[in-house]
Amino acid sequence: MIDIYSALSLGITFTATFVTTFAATPIVAKVMKARGITGVDIHKTSKTEIPEMCGLAILIGLAVGVVVYCIAMPLAIRQAAAFIGSVLIAGAVGIIDDLHPLGARMKPLLTALACIPILLLGTYVPYAEVPLYGSVRLTIVYPILIPIAFAVTSNSVNMMDVMNGAMPGTVAIIAFTMVGILLWAREFRTATLAGALLAAMLAFFYFNRYPSKVFDGDTGSLAVGAALGALAIIGRIEAVVIVALIPYIMNSFYGLSSVRGLRERREIHQRPTELLDNGLLRASNQKGAPVTLARLILAAGPMGEKDVVKVMMVLTAVSSLLAGFTYWLTVAVK
Amino acid sequence: MKRILPLAAIEIFVWFVLLAVTFLISKVAIELSFGTTTLVARVATQIVRLLASGTLVLAWLAAWKKVADFYLSRALSRSGTNA
Repeated sequence: MIDIYSALSLGITFTATFVTTFAATPIVAKVMKARGITGVDIHKTSKTEIPEMCGLAILIGLAVGVVVYCIAMPLAIRQAAAFIGSVLIAGAVGIIDDLHPLGARMKPLLTALACIPILLLGTYVPYAEVPLYGSVRLTIVYPILIPIAFAVTSNSVNMMDVMNGAMPGTVAIIAFTMVGILLWAREFRTATLAGALLAAMLAFFYFNRYPSKVFDGDTGSLAVGAALGALAIIGRIEAVVIVALIPYIMNSFYGLSSVRGLRERREIHQRPTELLDNGLLRASNQKGAPVTLARLILAAGPMGEKDVVKVMMVLTAVSSLLAGFTYWLTVAVK
Repeated sequence: MKRILPLAAIEIFVWFVLLAVTFLISKVAIELSFGTTTLVARVATQIVRLLASGTLVLAWLAAWKKVADFYLSRALSRSGTNA
């Protein structure tokens, strides 16, 4: 069972992150709008201009939450510093990308740098927990896989961030699952950090849900992806997170393989979905259009953006349930 | 529901294949060894293990893509949108 001190730390960190993100989002949105940093909501017939780069509020919320956690639990400072360091590096890459778009190859390369705090602070254990087997020693390979893991999680979350509420809604489900599994594993420190991510996602979802009042931009999506990668490594739940991320991998892997390699959104001329005059979305019938999760969902017929996001959330709930089973299988073998 | 069920079924299929692949990696790829006496042998062992595991992971991704492509073309033709 969780001790009272860990439970209190989790509660305080969750509250601090939620309140800060919730308070910071409208302020950041106002600043972005005033500076003309806006994006068009392409899945609406009205083509509304929405403030971009509001993912900064997520970074602020997570930073405040982590500082509060370090005050409440000074012993967790190493894990907390590695987590927030990775998030801030990926967030900085996102800021650069939002202001001066990076190339399709440069972005994964730079997001891989988010692994530096984990490597420097040594907050990883080079023994992967494999379902149905147990611990596998990977002393040389594991540190090589860490930057790849960051590039994959950051860019997968970035590629999923295409519809109102899709990113915070689905990541909140994954973060909730992670909190549960990490508490089960008695990894209270990492569970608290996952709780901070959950709080930031819930607060941001309020503003980003359909119809969106803010866009997180690459600043938010890359940082959130790095947060998932960091939690997987620090909490030693790599396999569990891979399973929870199945809809994300589905989206990015199909997308990349259908356009034959790394391409920036701007470089792909055919869109996976089309907006109809009645405001509904339908799957593109173009052969060269990217095969994304949204296109797979819409293949059965047109539907509204809000409903597409609901299906994405249900699919993430299914993958999170499977992630729970995966952890149970890992523990059962042990 | 007609959209969720087939996609959830793909997720479950992918999960089962993933478990099978991790089982194969742990029983076959991880057992590959060139000894632990020298640094070269240790590095070679890890590289071969990584390559074998990578091949299995690629097979997993290929199976996943086949199923998804099949679903996409079937769903598009059923809904009357030709791809």
